[in-house]
This record gives sequence, C-alpha cells and structure tokens, in this order.
Amino acid sequence: MVRLFTALSVLLGLACTRADTVSFRHDVMAVFSKAGCNNGGCHGNAHGRGSLKLSLRGESPDIDFKALIHSNSSRLLIPDAAEESLLLRKPTLQRRHEGGERFKVGPLEYIPLQQWIASGLPKDAPDAPKLIELRADPEEHVLIGSDNSVHLKVNAHFSDGSKRDVSRWAVYEPSDLIVDIREDGYVTATQPGETTITVRYLHLQRPVRIAYIRSRPNFAWAAPTPANVIDEAVYAKLRRLRMNPSERINDTHFIRRVTRDLTGLLPTQEEAQSFLADTHPRKRDLLVESLLERPAFADFWALKWSDLLRNEEKALDKKGVKVFHSWIRSAFAENKPLDQFARELVTGIGSSYENPPSNYYRALRNPTLRAEATAQLFLGTRLQCARCHRHPYERWSQDDYYQFAAAFDGIGYKIIENKRKDGLDKNSFNGEQLIQVGLERKLKDPRSSKAPKIAFLPIPGMAKQEGEDLAALGNWLTAKDNPLFARVQVNRIWFQLFGKGIVDPVDDFRSPNPPINPALLDALGEEFVRGEFDLRHLIRFIMRSETYQAAAVPNNTNANDSRNCSHAFVQRHDAETLLDSIHQVLGTEAEFTGIDHPLRASQLPGVESVHRNRKPKKDEHFLKVFGRPVRQLNSDLERSNATSLAQVFEMTSGRTLQTLLADSENRLGKFLDDNDSDKELIENLYWTALTRAPRAIEQETMLAHLVAATDRRRALEDISWALINSKEFMLRN
Amino acid sequence: MGLLGMTMPKILQARAWEESRKVAPKAKNVIFLFQFGGPSHVDMFDMKPDAPSEYRSPHGQRRTSCPDIEINERLPELARLMDEVTVIRSVHHKMKNHNSAAYYALSGHAPATDDQRLRDTIDLYPAYGSVVDHLAPSRDTALPTFVSYPHHIGDGSRTPGQFASFLGKRHDPLFIPRDPNKEDFKIPELSLPEGLTLDRLQSRRGLQQIIDQQAHLLDHAAEAQGLDDYYTKALSMLHSPKVRKAFDLSQESSALRDRYGRTTYGQGCLLARRLVEHGVKFSTVYFSRSIGGRSKTDGGWDTHGFDNTRMFPIIEDYHLPITDQTLPTLLTDLKMRGLLDETLVIWMGEFGRTPKINKNASRDHWPQCYSVLLAGGGVKRGYIYGASDKLGEHPTEDPVTPEDLAATIYQLIGIDPNAMIIDTQDRPLPISSGKPIWDVIA
Repeated sequence: MVRLFTALSVLLGLACTRADTVSFRHDVMAVFSKAGCNNGGCHGNAHGRGSLKLSLRGESPDIDFKALIHSNSSRLLIPDAAEESLLLRKPTLQRRHEGGERFKVGPLEYIPLQQWIASGLPKDAPDAPKLIELRADPEEHVLIGSDNSVHLKVNAHFSDGSKRDVSRWAVYEPSDLIVDIREDGYVTATQPGETTITVRYLHLQRPVRIAYIRSRPNFAWAAPTPANVIDEAVYAKLRRLRMNPSERINDTHFIRRVTRDLTGLLPTQEEAQSFLADTHPRKRDLLVESLLERPAFADFWALKWSDLLRNEEKALDKKGVKVFHSWIRSAFAENKPLDQFARELVTGIGSSYENPPSNYYRALRNPTLRAEATAQLFLGTRLQCARCHRHPYERWSQDDYYQFAAAFDGIGYKIIENKRKDGLDKNSFNGEQLIQVGLERKLKDPRSSKAPKIAFLPIPGMAKQEGEDLAALGNWLTAKDNPLFARVQVNRIWFQLFGKGIVDPVDDFRSPNPPINPALLDALGEEFVRGEFDLRHLIRFIMRSETYQAAAVPNNTNANDSRNCSHAFVQRHDAETLLDSIHQVLGTEAEFTGIDHPLRASQLPGVESVHRNRKPKKDEHFLKVFGRPVRQLNSDLERSNATSLAQVFEMTSGRTLQTLLADSENRLGKFLDDNDSDKELIENLYWTALTRAPRAIEQETMLAHLVAATDRRRALEDISWALINSKEFMLRN
Repeated sequence: MGLLGMTMPKILQARAWEESRKVAPKAKNVIFLFQFGGPSHVDMFDMKPDAPSEYRSPHGQRRTSCPDIEINERLPELARLMDEVTVIRSVHHKMKNHNSAAYYALSGHAPATDDQRLRDTIDLYPAYGSVVDHLAPSRDTALPTFVSYPHHIGDGSRTPGQFASFLGKRHDPLFIPRDPNKEDFKIPELSLPEGLTLDRLQSRRGLQQIIDQQAHLLDHAAEAQGLDDYYTKALSMLHSPKVRKAFDLSQESSALRDRYGRTTYGQGCLLARRLVEHGVKFSTVYFSRSIGGRSKTDGGWDTHGFDNTRMFPIIEDYHLPITDQTLPTLLTDLKMRGLLDETLVIWMGEFGRTPKINKNASRDHWPQCYSVLLAGGGVKRGYIYGASDKLGEHPTEDPVTPEDLAATIYQLIGIDPNAMIIDTQDRPLPISSGKPIWDVIA
C-alpha cells in the first residue's frame, strides 16, 4: 500500500528523497502551504489557532518542526497510530475543525503527512538537497477570446541538480480575481483584465502575468503617432490588449488639466481664452513651461512633499514647520535635483531651525521609524512586516530589517529648548533641537538582544557601498545604479499626475505587485537618471506625451481599462485643490487659524496637531472632511481622495460652501453688476468655474432659473453651487 | 477594474473571508456607553467590604435583584436591575494611561506603547462600530450603521479608536458634536444653514444634474457615479421624515425624558434607544469629553484627588447619581419595548482604580483588574463572570482581556471574531485576537 502511494507520489512530484522517506522540509511543509494551514487567518496567525501554531506561510520550517514535535497535545501526532493523529483527522474533518475540510484522505496531501508521522517524525538530513530555484512557464501570457486557459508548469530546482515538477504543490495567488486556478496550476480566465499570479513553493515565489482580452475580431489598431517613448511603451501594451487610446483632449480641457495638475488652481477665463486663440504650433509645450515657472507650482509640489515628510506642528513646532516648508518649497522653486533633495534629507543634522532638512529626523525619533520611512519614501519598500517576520510577499528578512535600521542608529537629539504646552506629551516638542550623529548605538535585535551590524538593504544589481555613515547611506540610496530610487520617484510623479501609479500602491514595489507596464517604468526611470533627477524635465516629458493628453471618456475598446492609461483616470481632487478652486471661483479668501495674511490651502506650511479643544475654522473643517492628511506617516496613502457621504453633506448642508456663496463681498455681486446680459453672465461664470462655454441646454436652463427668480442674487448662488458641485469641478478628468 | 475602489488583493482577501464561517447573531444592535476616566470597580460592582480600611470603600453595599451580586448602596435603582445584567469582574490589561487604555477599550487592540498622548494615526485599529459598518452594515441604508456623540474624547490629544482609521472615511461614524440635552439639539448634517431650504437644495440639485449630463463622466466613471449616489443619499436623508424622527427627542414624552435625566448623558442614552428603534446598529455614547474627575458638574471618572479635590464627594454627587438615574432607565425602557434581547448594552471605562486609597483619599489608575457591565443582546442575566482577589487588585478567576471582550462583542453581533481587515500596508489583520467569553453568552 505504502509503496503504491510512494510510486504515485513520485509521479505527482512529491520530493521524497528516498523511496520510503518523506521530507519534512519539502513534502510536509508543501502540504501545510498548499492546504492553507499556515495562512495568516489560520494556524499561521501570530497566536496560532487552537493548539497549533505554524510559521506564517511556512517561513520557518525548523521552528515548525520543533513546534510539532514538542506540541502540548499528545494526540496531534501519534506515530504508532498515524491515522489517529489530529494533524490528519482534523483537516479531513474526521474531527471537528474550525478551518473546515482542507484535504481528503488520499494519495496527495494525506499520505505524505501520514507517512511522515508513521515513520517516526524524521528530521531531514543536514545534507539533504535544498530548493534553490523556482521556475514557472509561461511567466507572461495573453489569453484571447475563447482561448481562455493556460496550464502553468512550475519546476523546482534543487541543490543536487535535480528538478521536479511541483505544479500540483505550488500555491497560486492572483492579484486580480479575473481567473480561476485549479490546484494543479490550470488557469482559466473568467473576465477581461490583467492579473499577477504569485506562484509560491516553499520559500520561493515567482510572479506570472496573465492578461485576458476579448477577441474583438474587428479590432483595428488606430495607429496613433507616439509623441515619445512614453507613448511607445503605452501603445505597445494597448495594442497587445487590443485597445485603442482615447482621443486627445481639446485646448480648453488641456489648459484646465495642466493648470490643476501643476498648480492646484483653475486657469482664469482670460488665460483659457487667450490660450484657445493662440496659434503657436507648440503652444501646449509653452504653456507647461510657463506653469512650471509659476510660484504656485512650487507651492503645490511642496504641499505633496510636506505630506510625505511629516511636516506637522506637534513634532516640529510652529517655527520648525515654517522653516522646513520653506526649505522644501525652495527646493521645488530652484528645481533642486530629487537625488540631492533626498541626500540632504537623510544626511540632515544640526539645528532644526538652522538646517531645515534635519527636521526629517526630528520627526522620526527612533532608528526603526527612520529606516521604515526612508525605505518607503525613497525605495518604495514597505519594511514594516519584516520587523516581526519575514515579509510574506517579499524578500526582506528580519536580518535585513534590523541591519538597515542599524544604519540609522546613534542619531540623537540635544533639546535646546522645549516649551511644549502639554508637559505630559512625549510626542510634542516646541523649541530648537540639535540633531546629532555618532552617539551611542542602542538598537537591539529583539531575537538576539544584540546590536545588529550595519548593512544597507541588499538590492539585487547594486554595487557594494563603501562606508556606513549617513553620507554613504545617502549615496547608496540615490546612486544611479540603485534600480529602485529613480523608478520609485518617477512612479510617484506619475501617480501625482495620473492619480494612479505604474506600480500601485505607489510605495509598494515588490515582485507580486509588478509595474503594470515595466517598459514604461524603465523608460521613465532612464529618462529621469539621464536628466540628472530633474523634476521639471520629467514633468515636461510626461506632459508632452499623448498618453497624458488622453481624454477620460473611453472609446468602445478601452472602457474596461483602469491601469494602462488608455484614458484618463477619474478621481476626486485633493482637499486643497478643491477649496482653493472654490475660493477662486467666488473671489473669496480662506481663513486659517493663526494666519493673518491671504494664503491658499495649498500654501499652508504645516498641519496643526489634532486637538480636542480646537474649534476649526470652516476652511480647516472642509480640508479635514476632504482628506487632508495629519502627516503622521511617511506615506502617499495617508492622503485620502476617496469620496464620502460626509463630504457631500459638507457641500450640500454644510456651512463652508453656503457661507462663501452667501458672502456679500464675494464675486457674485460683481458678476451681476458687471455683465451686460444674463447670457454673458452665465457664459463668464462657466468659463470661470469649468473653463468652457455653456452648452445650449445649460445656457437655456440657467437663464430660465435666473429669469424666474425673484431674487437674482440667490439664483446666481444656486447656479454657482451647481457648477462647484458638478463632477467636472470635483473630479479630475 | 477596481470594484468600489478596493485594490485587488483586498477584494481577493475580502472574498476569502466572506467565505469564512458565518456566526449566528444574538444581538442586532449595540449601545456602547463609554465611561472615560476610569470608574472605580471597587466602589461600584466589585466592592470589598472586608478589606482593610485603607482599601475599603467608604460606601456600603446593598443587595440587588440578583442574589449573587451586591453593589454600591448609592446605586439603588441599578440594584433593582442586576438580575438583567452580566458583570465581568476580571478584566485586566497593562495600559496605565487614558489614551492608550481608552484606545484599547474602544478597538479591542493594545497600542504598541503605553503612551499618554498616543497619536491617532491610520495605522491604528478602527472603532468597533466602524468594523461593524465594514463587515455587517445595516440593511436599511436610510440611516447610518454607526453613530457616535456627543463629543470626541481626548486626554491632551484625541484618543484613537473613535473613527474608521484605515478602513476609510466611509466607515467613520455619523458623529454628532452636539448636546442632546439642549432644546435646539439637531444633527448638523441634517439641519440646513440659514437661507437654505429643501426646495432650494432640490432645485440646485436639478441644475447640477444638467451640468453633469454634459461631461458624460457619470456614464463611464465609477468614481463619478459613486459621488452622485452620495448626493442622492444625502438629499434623501435630508428629506426623510424617518431619519429626522430618529434624532428628534421632542417626540419623547416629557416624563420619560425626565426619567432618563435632563443631562447630556441622560438624553444621549435616550437618543441611543431611539436610534436602535430606527435601525442604527452601533451607537457609542461618551459619558464625558474629558477624563475629568475634579468636578461635581461635568467630566469623566478620573478621580485622583488632584488639586485638593476628593474622589468620594465627587462621585457621590455626580457620577453615581447620573449613572443610577440613566443606566437603569435605559435598560428598563429597552426591556419594556422588547428591545433588550436584541440590543447589547456595554458599560465600561478604560480601566479601574487603585484598590488602595491614595494620600488624597482618592484612587488612581488600575488596569490590572476592573469590572465591565454587559446587558441584553444575548448575554446572561444576573450573572457574574470572573473574580478578583480579596482586595480587588488582580483577577483570581477567569481573567478577561480587552481582546476577549472584543471577540465577545463581535460574536454576539454575528461577526466572526477571526474576520480579517486590511490595513494601509495591505496586511490582513484579525478584527480581534482574543477568544469570545462563551460563558457570558446565554
């Protein structure tokens, strides 16, 4: 019987090293993963489940071996009566099992476990072959129409040179649920789209990209002319997916889009109309050029980076927030290369007032926070998981984590003054500090209680770095051969212009989350390095592309696309952009606590700490409701552009917009006085708010509303409300 | 191809967990009465009349309608209802500061550090009500699933655990920063600012729809459709008599309003009952905005005796009378309306108070052992779970953690306590890492 199963097992790819032995590392662990026993929701949970705790996704076979052998439950493993072991009875539902049936009694999962138990729970020999490589075939595949399935073949390569087909034992996890995957790796697409299947076997994994498209027999590639390599990369992919890009937006739409993307403001009626009248063949390029030189550009991009660098008052204090903001802003005004910007931040020490970039570390008060923030901001790498366990989807180990954190150890603070109001608040600082380096190193690896040695993250393909100090760290981080730095920065810039990253989420670069278009990301990264990390250069390069200038309205081939930039992505504008635009339309000014001069929301240096007794002004309340981040994480995702019911209440029954509309000093009075006719009035208001003329039906409706009104002023408030609440106004498109 | 804007791994994981086993609910609704500051267990539900005088409460005990429990003599009304409730006398944890302990109580998760000014960031866990809104929202969409009032709580900085955190703003509570004891109590969202009428708003909406038809965004962009749906919902809530009625305390008889107590807390508890009747699934009533403890007219339970105040005169004149008026009225009212069986009432603070009386003749923070009161919603009646030692310093039987309480709450309301939610790092995290206390479930 056993022999029969063993023969079967060999056929099925079990890694039995000898005819009668089951390998714990290769067979038993593979069963735990394949059956899902060691998932985070089950026994892989930090507390285990029931009396069985396994390492998360089988990251630690040795620990699992010990845990099983030394289990408190004498009935978990019974070598003399293997079939009675709970390890077999529970997953086959011969005993009640919270996790349900994981496998059946039979040759596949059951027998290797049973054999391992019956043969006395053997440990693998130290010289047993080790898994060294995993290969999946194909690694990229496009399915079309009725040709909707592909059988993945997964091969494991071992240190003794042997190779085994482990398709039946690998775990398949798709990023997008557009496929059904049989347990032997047979993939059937169920709906059009793209997915990355992470193929995992023991400790190794490979991503497999699958796209499934409709057959579209009548599809004809529209052969648009690429403006530059961005379009070449995007078009190549679109063509493969049998999609045509959407139309190019018209001039008024273009000036509206670029002005909002670069400055967070609306183009004025005059700007828009003169741009429309301009006959210069390169007028779009010239417009971008002129916007890049505006102070509002530096304001708007300083806002984005102030979010990322935790520029908030509790940790940095009022003065600190101002000096840090003004340093960030001037970096964008002067077009400081982004690599230099990053180096100045990670090497920033000294007085937090005199040397503004030192506020980067002032806000990050311990080595692990500094390491996590630096990895996330500049390398698009989320290290947090690796603090406690091997990152389940990534290569970083706990060693990598603590050794990288050690590079940020020995940084300390000489607090020259601390006038914090709340003496009990350890997170609150008010006064100058000196950020110092070379102090006593205190970081301990909690596993060994020893100080970890310093090592920068082992990024494949990078030359080894000389030195361990912050200068060396900065050089390593921003080195031209650091494949992550340039790509992460261009991905973030792309995200800020398109609303979605090429890698998305934007700070989550890892193999199961690959770029939607690797050629595009590579091309942008190369351009950025070639341009010496010049932000304006890259923005120009992107805005010149047809891809950037594509409309949001889809055509009949690309409506289902949300990632490949075949059409613009529709998303709510940032809180500050919305508020500033409302004030712009109504000719009013925002009011902020403690600020006595006119200031737009996008020019605010910091965010006030959330405080229970503070009565926010209406503009501040608006920003909060619309997702202005509190800047307590170094993450692009802290800002929320999601829509919510509370936001719509704010716009309908809330006080902010109604107060501004009813403000007798606002521009509406002038609109009523200055225009010769109602028709002209409506036209001007449309140009101001939507950068376009009203269509006939709009003109008609608004006129009727104005004419029928007993109070023309109130009628105009209503029309303005409708314009400001229109999707065209609130959503990037 | 995002569905409702979820990223793909989230959908995948969400689907996997939807398939995880369902839990039969006992409670349809929850009323969470949070006693910020930390009420004294040894002066309320776990008194130690035989302890030495430096420990013993100056108050006596009284028998109650439940033969197993005696409580403070100054809670006579509540004493009549002890046969309706479960008291857990063995809750314990290690957080000694208000913000960290209150976050623990409001979310069921321990913060990484016991920080007096723990910061409210989106990497911390959401409020219970937000999790309920995420995993098991009310069927009736006219009303929100989760409502909280009448203030945020905070001790120096806003206490985390009151909002949706990483679950996203759409799972935030409808938060009402208004005093329900005021004559003009209104929901800000549902009250129109001066100069605006429903008709005018409706006509504005008509104009907006004309403009929206032009750009065709609604035809193809899910984001635009979603935003437009919120306009429809907001307007229907503004128009809905049902929604208005749910929050309209003037519909209640003056006698009943008096019985609840003409206090912010009293009327807040009455509002909670109305909300339950109208289908709000989770209502959180904060007893006080601050930790308080130094005043006989407002504030929470943090009675250290600082500034030459004294604990006992304060709780005798303020905290105990209010509690004895409002809590039994709420329980009786729910019961008389047949709602108590389906409504879980939770009464708890963030910790207890030092069994040993301090040099100010008062008590300090004591998370090592304290009491929590549960009623209705499928918990046992007239039941004591767990026990503390003879001084009330440590649990001696059946110790319970806030994690276990969380698992119990989720279990009672029909949510698998092992369900997963996804944080900003795309990590799947269990909503609770404790075990339901099966023994308190009827």
